[in-house]
Amino acid sequence: MHVWCVRWGDVRVSMAFRIGVDSGGTFTDVCLLDEDNGRVSVWKLPSTPTDPSIAIAGGTRQILERRQSTEPAEVSFFGHGTTVSTNALIQGRGARTGLVTNEGFRDLLELARQRRPHLYDLQTDKPEPLVPRDRRHEVAARMHYDGRVERAPDAGEIKAVARALKDQGVEAVAICLLYGFLDPSHEIAIAEGIAEVLGPEVFVSCAHRVCPEFREYERLSTTVVNGFLGPIMRGYLDNLTPRLREAGVAVAPHITQSNGGTISFETASAQPVRTILSGPSTGVVGALETARIVGERDLITFDMGGTSTDVALIEGGEPGLTTEAEVHGYPIKVPMIDIQTVGAGGGSIAHIDSGGFLKVGPRSAGAEPGPVCYGLGNEEPTVTDANVVMGVLDPNRLLGGRMEIDHDRALAAMERLGGKIGLGALETAAGIVRVVTANMARAIRLISVQRGHDPRDYCLIPFGGGGPAHAGRLARELGMGRILVPRNPGILCALGLLLTDLSQDFSVTRRTGLNADGIGAARAAIVQLRAEAEAWFALEDVAPERRAIGVTADMRYAGQNHELNVSVPEITDDAGFLDQLAANFAELHDRRYGYVAPEEPVELITFRLKASGLVDKPGFESAEEEGPDASPALVSRRPVYSSEDASFTETPIYDRDLLRPGNQVTGPAVITQFDSTTLVLAGQTATVDRYFNLALREGDVR
Amino acid sequence: MSTPDPITVEVIGSAIASIAEEMGETLIRASYSTNIKERRDCSTVLFDAAGRTLYQAEHIPIHLGSLMGVVEEVVKRHPVETIQEGDLFIGNDAYTGGGTHLPDIVFASPIFHQSALVGWATNLAHHADFVDRGHKHIFQEGLRIPPIRLHRAGELQRDVLDLILLNCQVPRERLADFRAQIAANHFGVRRFQALCDRYGVPLLNQVFDELLDYAERRMRAGIAAIPDGVYDFEDIFEGDEQPEPLTFKVRIEVTGETIHLDFAGNPPQVPAGLNIVNTALLATVYYAVKTIADPDAPPNAGLFRPISVSAPEASIVNASPPAAVNGRTNTCQRVVDLVLGALAKAVPERVIAACNGAVVAATFSGVNPRTGAYYVYLETLGGGFGARATKDGLDGVQAHITNTSNLPIEGLEPEYPLVVDRYELVRDSGGPGTWRGGMALRRQIRAVDHDCWVSVRGTRLKTGPWGLFGGHEGGRYSVEADPPLVGGRGDLAAGRTVSITTPGSGGYGDPATRDPDLVRRDLAEDRISPEVARGVHGV
Repeated sequence: MHVWCVRWGDVRVSMAFRIGVDSGGTFTDVCLLDEDNGRVSVWKLPSTPTDPSIAIAGGTRQILERRQSTEPAEVSFFGHGTTVSTNALIQGRGARTGLVTNEGFRDLLELARQRRPHLYDLQTDKPEPLVPRDRRHEVAARMHYDGRVERAPDAGEIKAVARALKDQGVEAVAICLLYGFLDPSHEIAIAEGIAEVLGPEVFVSCAHRVCPEFREYERLSTTVVNGFLGPIMRGYLDNLTPRLREAGVAVAPHITQSNGGTISFETASAQPVRTILSGPSTGVVGALETARIVGERDLITFDMGGTSTDVALIEGGEPGLTTEAEVHGYPIKVPMIDIQTVGAGGGSIAHIDSGGFLKVGPRSAGAEPGPVCYGLGNEEPTVTDANVVMGVLDPNRLLGGRMEIDHDRALAAMERLGGKIGLGALETAAGIVRVVTANMARAIRLISVQRGHDPRDYCLIPFGGGGPAHAGRLARELGMGRILVPRNPGILCALGLLLTDLSQDFSVTRRTGLNADGIGAARAAIVQLRAEAEAWFALEDVAPERRAIGVTADMRYAGQNHELNVSVPEITDDAGFLDQLAANFAELHDRRYGYVAPEEPVELITFRLKASGLVDKPGFESAEEEGPDASPALVSRRPVYSSEDASFTETPIYDRDLLRPGNQVTGPAVITQFDSTTLVLAGQTATVDRYFNLALREGDVR
Repeated sequence: MSTPDPITVEVIGSAIASIAEEMGETLIRASYSTNIKERRDCSTVLFDAAGRTLYQAEHIPIHLGSLMGVVEEVVKRHPVETIQEGDLFIGNDAYTGGGTHLPDIVFASPIFHQSALVGWATNLAHHADFVDRGHKHIFQEGLRIPPIRLHRAGELQRDVLDLILLNCQVPRERLADFRAQIAANHFGVRRFQALCDRYGVPLLNQVFDELLDYAERRMRAGIAAIPDGVYDFEDIFEGDEQPEPLTFKVRIEVTGETIHLDFAGNPPQVPAGLNIVNTALLATVYYAVKTIADPDAPPNAGLFRPISVSAPEASIVNASPPAAVNGRTNTCQRVVDLVLGALAKAVPERVIAACNGAVVAATFSGVNPRTGAYYVYLETLGGGFGARATKDGLDGVQAHITNTSNLPIEGLEPEYPLVVDRYELVRDSGGPGTWRGGMALRRQIRAVDHDCWVSVRGTRLKTGPWGLFGGHEGGRYSVEADPPLVGGRGDLAAGRTVSITTPGSGGYGDPATRDPDLVRRDLAEDRISPEVARGVHGV
């Protein structure tokens, strides 16, 4: 197994470590933090897609062995980000799943919201239902909107359904009934009947546990996805757990969930749907913590990988969450960091469409054959090729010199493409970068402007392999004045794992008016959620002084159906509580939609509680600022094409690892490191901060 | 000034698209009525100063017909020099308001930059109101509003608002939805102005020309790929409102990069809400041609240019006042089927068999015993989406000119005194073929603790959606109620149910050649009966 050391943090003498492992499709990144001196070591090794636990455990073991110490190592924390559930969903490789629902509603799973997937394209298909129609069973039971029972399920019928499911050989069963979030007794009766007949090996996914919220289709979809992934995640973690123990990890390992917090392997086994954005959300947390240390709390993260780019907004140190996400066409209604994904990354292919416009993506050359410059057979130019042609990326080699590339091949491909619309190779390359920048800007507007936030108030945090090369132009496009490039942009996800708090979200739908009569219901809902949180804290073994709780409510004007998530103050006196809640709602409504309607009654719909088990945040390595002179890090010069001037400029190239805190680099300049390249545009200045991040600003900061 | 480069055009095009889309999100999220907030029966469009469509957010294709004419109608009535910043026009009339039927209420806001009119932000929402009406002529169908000012230079015209609200059956919802529509336009105006600040109006206008030319080029390329020729098609139209069958027809002439659609010989307009006005016909035709020529061409006015249409005056497909228009979408759906049916001879691999051919609309209204207030619940139901040349059709979706969502049952029942007893696919409703047509829907609704008024409107009671190249027809439309509805209307007593089965869709190719494994899968999943498996497919 080949392991690249990205950075060696001198961990020879220490005894206590924290480990973060981010397992992606191509690479597995392992991050080791020495608790004594705050130094971070980072490794990258190829993933083992057939059984990811081999690379994860193998990498962990090798790294612990490299300490060159005879003392046994103590791993105090192990955090893991994974794409297992996302991949299983996207590739349709989940478990054989059955469904039990109300009589008359088994088709809801494929009827969805009745909309077709593309307005004009007659050939587009709906996503394949995860449970085929013959494995969708109905029971004659019905509850009403006020919790009144018209008909309870019959024990004999439940048994018959359970036997049918057994005959069908299902590995997982999803159970979702109308209004099950108000009163779960019918779902529980069905779950018990199924466990009786099918035994404990069958994975049971109950809507009232997975997603106790109104809107039956989205709840059903979430419950089914959870069932579909259940046996997969359980098998994966059952595989990984003993391997980690053998590798020397004695502490209970944790996994990141889509809300940016971590959960135990046990919780992840029961609710795998919560790990669907495990990978990308870890990067957001890494960015958040990197920025927090230097005092930036309002951020837009920009994670540009090979085939796609993820952006997210963080306000006041809290990532924006959504409960309306759709993954691969399947709605998933659990809290997730509000991440917008654009189908464009470094490997995205550029082409000319039938109207003569230059387009980039969503087709990607992937890691293999990869961009034209890799010389592995792809001849259609990609975003990476554009950067190679323009000289932003080293025209000879990538990955710290480990990979040779073919500049001339990329240039020829660019000429061929440009020839179709009468542009030269360089204009075409610059055009590709502009089009990609516009696509990214549109995604950022979705999470900022459309949510009532002005991007100019935020700091852009670029990471992933491609983020730092594009951040300067993107920030200009959006008028953003501040950019912070983390010390290791390529492995920020793994780093984020070392910094993530445990957390779990709880919710319950209790529709009630925002008035004196509603206080009782609100109080009861919050008490219930607190009790659930306490039980979870006990399960996760969180010490009392490390427990934190935040309560919010989804609110709307009575009559609206789309709620705004409003923070809920402590209930001290009833009147003050109501006033504060009303004010919080009005403020948010005004910001989002531009008006308030003070005479209209307001409703509370879903109460949400986020429980966090706070972990110690390690101190990052820092150093005193030295002078602005960056010349010791100046390693070479090469011509870099500026689309602004339409010409090449001889541009200084700096080695990121040689830059010291306080050093300043004035653009145009290129700063290279193992896994990423930062482009400083003419007119911008990069300053190295005490934590070795690069702070980019417009203008000369001296 | 030189022509803007294609990259700048692309960048500004993205910005225009995102403004229209964000307007749509604002409208949906802030609105009150179920038809907008959950069913998304609304659209947003940006126009340039000349009234040319720059971008329609992808919601409902037929809405383009309502919005296309609005700027023209505003300007016809209000000289441009009298239009001021902060004006807001409201309108709905099918003949003078730029609309296509009265429940679609349009809001149009002029966008000014440095005191010059530079564009229009518009949106339309279908208001579930004006119910329990006659449809012999448009005066029975609701309040007709020509484009008039609701705001004058930023000042709300209270008199206008009061007059409109007094004519609405659910005024509280209307007012709240108007607020959301206004918020959406304000958003669009601000964003458009920011774009002007950034790029300057002269450059933007050049870019708009380029964007339209681009859509035109794409459409021309798509049309050029259709073999030249003249293609005819005919179909029978009948339904609740039109028991007597009518013959619909089209003749399409493809010449190089252009296409002409001639609707000569279609029936005269009828004393029922089935007539379509010219802009609705155009929007329908643009939709149909776009699906064949280039589904991904940007939805702007450039794509109209290579398409021409002729239709006799005062006919069902080109109505004159005072023809009623409320249920026009049933007719529009059939126009799309006609166009695809005709082009089947030219591009068999691109067309699909007949879809549900209707926009089955169910309206329930009455006094809610839980609140004492009058309510209106409107839902349009999807159905089968026709089989394709290489795959089955889509089961239970909205087809062609509409794409509204359903109303979640857990959103419906707390709000209205109704219970949904079934919502499911209908066995054997997908027309058999080498590729099976998409299946129909059944939705069964019960009145609770009160008597209500019900109207259900659709077509294909007696004629199923046709198949192509040997494919069989799909299932027909039917409504069951006790006592039965008459002409699709009647009272529903407390505790009684109405069960609506929408049309399915046609199959594609000879069913005898369907892969037996697919037949067996359909049989195992109860999508077809053993009789169809054996009798039609021989499996």
